[in-house]
Amino acid sequence: MSPDFSSLVHWILFLPLGAAAFSALFLRRQGALAAGLSTATAFTIAGLALKLLLQAPGDVTWHIELARLGEVSLGFGYLIDANARLMLFVVSFVAAWIHLFSVGYMQADGARGRFFAGLSIFMFAILGIVVADNLLMTFIFWELVGFSSYMLIAHYFDKDFAAAASKKAFITNRIGDLGFILGIALCLHLYGTLDFVELQKHAAAAKMVPVAVGALLMCGFLGKSAQFPLHVWLTDAMAGPTPVSALIHAATMVAAGVYFMARVSFLLAPEVLQWMAISGAGMAALAGLCALAQTDIKKSLAYSTLAHLGIMGCALGLGHPELAVLHMAMHAFFKATLFLGAGSVIHGCHHEQDMLKMGGLLKKMPLTAATFIAATLSNCAVPFLAGWYSKDAILEAAWHGHHTAAFAFLAVAALATCLYSGRMIRLVFLGEANSEAAAHAHESPWTMTLPITVLGLVFAVGAGFAAPFLIPASALQVVSPALAEMHFSFTAPSTIVGLLALALGFGGALKFYSLFRGVDALQKLSPRTYALLEHRWMDGLYRWWIDSVQRRLAEFIAFLDLLLINGIAVRWIAGGATAALGHMTGRTFHRGQTRGFALWIVIGSLLLVGYLLAR
Amino acid sequence: MEHTTLAHHLLLAGLLFALGLTGVLVRRNLLVVYMSLELMLTAATLALVAFSRFNRTMDGAIFVFFIITVAAAEVAVGLALIVALFRRRGSMKSDELDALH
Repeated sequence: MSPDFSSLVHWILFLPLGAAAFSALFLRRQGALAAGLSTATAFTIAGLALKLLLQAPGDVTWHIELARLGEVSLGFGYLIDANARLMLFVVSFVAAWIHLFSVGYMQADGARGRFFAGLSIFMFAILGIVVADNLLMTFIFWELVGFSSYMLIAHYFDKDFAAAASKKAFITNRIGDLGFILGIALCLHLYGTLDFVELQKHAAAAKMVPVAVGALLMCGFLGKSAQFPLHVWLTDAMAGPTPVSALIHAATMVAAGVYFMARVSFLLAPEVLQWMAISGAGMAALAGLCALAQTDIKKSLAYSTLAHLGIMGCALGLGHPELAVLHMAMHAFFKATLFLGAGSVIHGCHHEQDMLKMGGLLKKMPLTAATFIAATLSNCAVPFLAGWYSKDAILEAAWHGHHTAAFAFLAVAALATCLYSGRMIRLVFLGEANSEAAAHAHESPWTMTLPITVLGLVFAVGAGFAAPFLIPASALQVVSPALAEMHFSFTAPSTIVGLLALALGFGGALKFYSLFRGVDALQKLSPRTYALLEHRWMDGLYRWWIDSVQRRLAEFIAFLDLLLINGIAVRWIAGGATAALGHMTGRTFHRGQTRGFALWIVIGSLLLVGYLLAR
Repeated sequence: MEHTTLAHHLLLAGLLFALGLTGVLVRRNLLVVYMSLELMLTAATLALVAFSRFNRTMDGAIFVFFIITVAAAEVAVGLALIVALFRRRGSMKSDELDALH
C-alpha cells in the first residue's frame, strides 16, 4: 500500500490560496511581510511538488462529488498523471524563483501587498488547472487564471495603457472561453460526463470523436495560449510588471493551454489537429519575424513567446502531445530566465525598455549578461542546451510526419529565432552605451541575480542534458522517450536546419546590427519591411471588424428593437388595449396612483388564473 | 371534523391572503399597505408549511426558511424607503404620492 499522496496535493493547492487570502485581508499595507509570506509559500510548494515528482509511483487520484444533477455528477478532484507531475514541478519551481526575483524587483513599489496576493492567487489557479480531474473544474480554475492575469497586468492601473491592455487580455480570452464552455456543454450532451478518465473511455469506445468537440475545446486553448487568431493580447500584456510577464505570460499561464490540450488530446479529431499544426507553425514563423521589428525588449520577448507557443501548438497538431509538454517545460525555464534577465536589465537601466538606448551592458551587468546569453542560446536551440531537445524533436516530428508545410514554417521560425536573439544580444549587451541610463547601469541585488543564475545556468542550459541523471526515469516517463530519441546526428534534417539557422541567423544578426548605432539597421535600410513587421495589422483587422461589421449589426438590431418591441409590442398594444378598455382605465394607468397599479396587477393575475383553470 | 386537514390550512391561508390583498387595495397609509403586503407573504408561507406537513416532506419547510430570511432583508429595505419617502415628501398617503420627482 503506497502512502496516500492526495493530502500532499491538498497542501500544494490550498497553501497559495491561504497566502493570497491572508495577504489580501491583513497585509495590504505591509508589503515586505506579504512578499515574505508569498515567497515562502512558493518555495514550500516547489519542495512539495518535487517530493511528489520523485516519490509518487503511479497516478494520484482523489475525488469528491459537489453536486448531482440527475445523471450528471459535478465534482472536485485530482488526477495527477506523469504529465501533471512534471507540469506541477515546472510551474512551482519556476514560480518560486520568480517570487524571489519579485522581492527585489518590486522593492520600491507602493502596492506590494496587492501584487504578492495576486501572485499567490495566480499560483492557486494554475495549480488547480494542473491537478483538475474534470472539465468543469478545469474551466473554473481557467477563469480564475484569467482573472489573476487581468489583475496583474493592470498592476499599474493608473496608467492608461496598462488598464487598456488588461481589458484587451480579458476580453480576448472571453472569446476563446465561450467556445470552451460550449465544448464542455457538448461533451456533457454527448457523453454525459466531464471526468477526463471517463471521457477517454467514451472516446476510445466511440472511435470517432465529432470535430466540433475538439474544435470548441480548442477555442479555449486559442485564447489562453495566445494562438492565432486570438494572439493579439499577449504582446500588450507586457504592460504588467516584468516578473508577471515572466511567470504568467511566458512560463506558466500561456502554457496551461498547451497542457490542457495534451490532457484532452484524445478528444481532438484529425481536422482539428491539422489546423493546429499549420496555424501553430505559421504563427511561429510570423511572430519570430515580428520580434525583429520591436524596440521594446519585453515586446520582442513577447513575440518570441508567441513563436514558441506556435511551435508547441504545432507539436500538438502533429500528434505529439508529449513533445509539446516537453517544449513547454524547457521553454518555461529559458523564457523565464530571459524575462527575468530583461527585468534585471530594465531595473539596472533605471526603467529604460528601449533596446536601441541600451548597449555595452556586458561589462556593467556581467552576471545578468552571462545568464541572458546562456538562455538566449538555449532559446536558439544550440545543441545539448535545454531548448534543443524539444525544438529539434518537434522539427524532426514534422519531417517524419511528412508535414512539409509545417516543417517549412518551423524552419523559418528557427531562423527568425536566431535572428532576433542575435539582434537582442548585439543591441543590449555589446557595443557602446547609447544613453545616459545605460551608461550608468548597475548590477541588480542578489534577490534578482540568484534566480536568474539558478534558472538560467542550471535549467535553461542543463535541463535537457542533465534531466536523465538528476531525476529518476519513473518521474520523467512522459518525456524520457522523447529525450532518449534525441541523438546528435549531422545528417538529420532538423539538425541541418538548426545548425544552418544558428550560423546564418546568429552570426548574421550580430554583423548586421553592428552597421549603425542608435538606430535599427533594418529600419534604416528597408523601412517598408520594418513597418510591415512592426505594423499591427491584426489589431487593425479587429478594429475594422468591430467598427464596420459588429457595430453595424448591433445598430441594426437596436433599430429592430425600437421598431418591433418598443414600437409595436409596447406602445401600440399597450396604447390600443387601454383605448379599448376605455377612458376610465386609461386614467388609472397614467395618474401614478399606486393603488390603481395594484388593482390592475390583481385583475391581471385573476385573468391568468382563470385562463389556467379553464384550460 | 375533529382533525384539521390540508383544506383547513389552505382556507386559512387563502383568507389571510385575501385580507392582505384587501388591505393593499383599500388602505391609503403606506405603512399599513406595507403591513398588508407582509400579511400576504405570510399567507403564502403558511400554505407552504401546510403542504410540507401534509405531504410529509421537508421541502416546503426549508423553502419557508429562505422566505423568512429574504423577507427580513426586504422589510429592512422597504421600511428604509418609507422613512426616506416621508422625510422627502412629508406624507405617507399613497394617493398624494403620484409623481416621480
